[in-house]
Amino acid sequence: MDAIVILAHGSVLCGSGEALWAHAERFIDHELAESVAFGYLNYTDPPFIEAVSRCVAEGATRIVVTPYFLAPGKFVRVDVPAAIAAAKAQYPDIEFVVGDVIGYDDLLADAILDSAANALPEEKWGEDLKRASAHCRADSACPLYGTPACPRQPFAPETATEGATQP
Amino acid sequence: MTDNSNRDTALLVLVHGSPRANANNDMYRVLEAIRIRGVYPIVEAGFLECNDPLIPDAIDLCVSKGATKIVAVPYFLHTGTHVSEDLPGLLSEGKERHPGVEFALGPFIGKSDKVTDILIARTLGALAPYRTAED
Repeated sequence: MDAIVILAHGSVLCGSGEALWAHAERFIDHELAESVAFGYLNYTDPPFIEAVSRCVAEGATRIVVTPYFLAPGKFVRVDVPAAIAAAKAQYPDIEFVVGDVIGYDDLLADAILDSAANALPEEKWGEDLKRASAHCRADSACPLYGTPACPRQPFAPETATEGATQP
Repeated sequence: MTDNSNRDTALLVLVHGSPRANANNDMYRVLEAIRIRGVYPIVEAGFLECNDPLIPDAIDLCVSKGATKIVAVPYFLHTGTHVSEDLPGLLSEGKERHPGVEFALGPFIGKSDKVTDILIARTLGALAPYRTAED
């Protein structure tokens, strides 16, 4: 049984996974595989190995790892193979297949032109940060916790909501 | 066949930058594909770090080429601190330097369902040898 794990870098900013959740939901809509999950190399939950474990629990025998990276940089050449090797050590019977990075695609030109057509004036530029605050876990382990850079401003940990769950 | 409504508009693609010289090659190909479509008369890249031109210099370049409006698009996949804070801050500084120029900022490309389509193509590409063999 095939499963897909989209693998991304992760960010210190809560809510940075928002785009990846949307991609994963669209993957599920396309019914490409029996299981679809996503995981991160750093900072953001869930870590890659948890996404793999979930697919294995759901019956996966083969996992396609799709890197959510623009270019085959150091993370893709070194850290992604290391993460997969660690997963392989934990699940030796699972076959891992790695997809290509985003790299070049004509659709990137479409994505950029779509974005340009929907560009907003300066007074709306804070929207991304406001959206991120909806996912803020006010986690004291976060380097932004309690700093002016924390998206939950004014800083109020008691009002923090649970992080959204992945599909 | 530049669209008249974009006549003096520059498309400025905001890129992270990389210490590896050839890491931007695919992005430059994407910019070339955009130029060929002729939607914007000026299409430039500006980098947050590591590569030239840096974003402030790229803004100045667009203005020197005659742009009265700059539409910026982050070539980023996540709502990280770069997208949320660094890029808007650099654009606001550019606006202060060029008060006669209109600035607009689009969503980062990771929000696009076109990027989902690319990820699906990469996934199916990885699966293709297995699924063909098993059919």
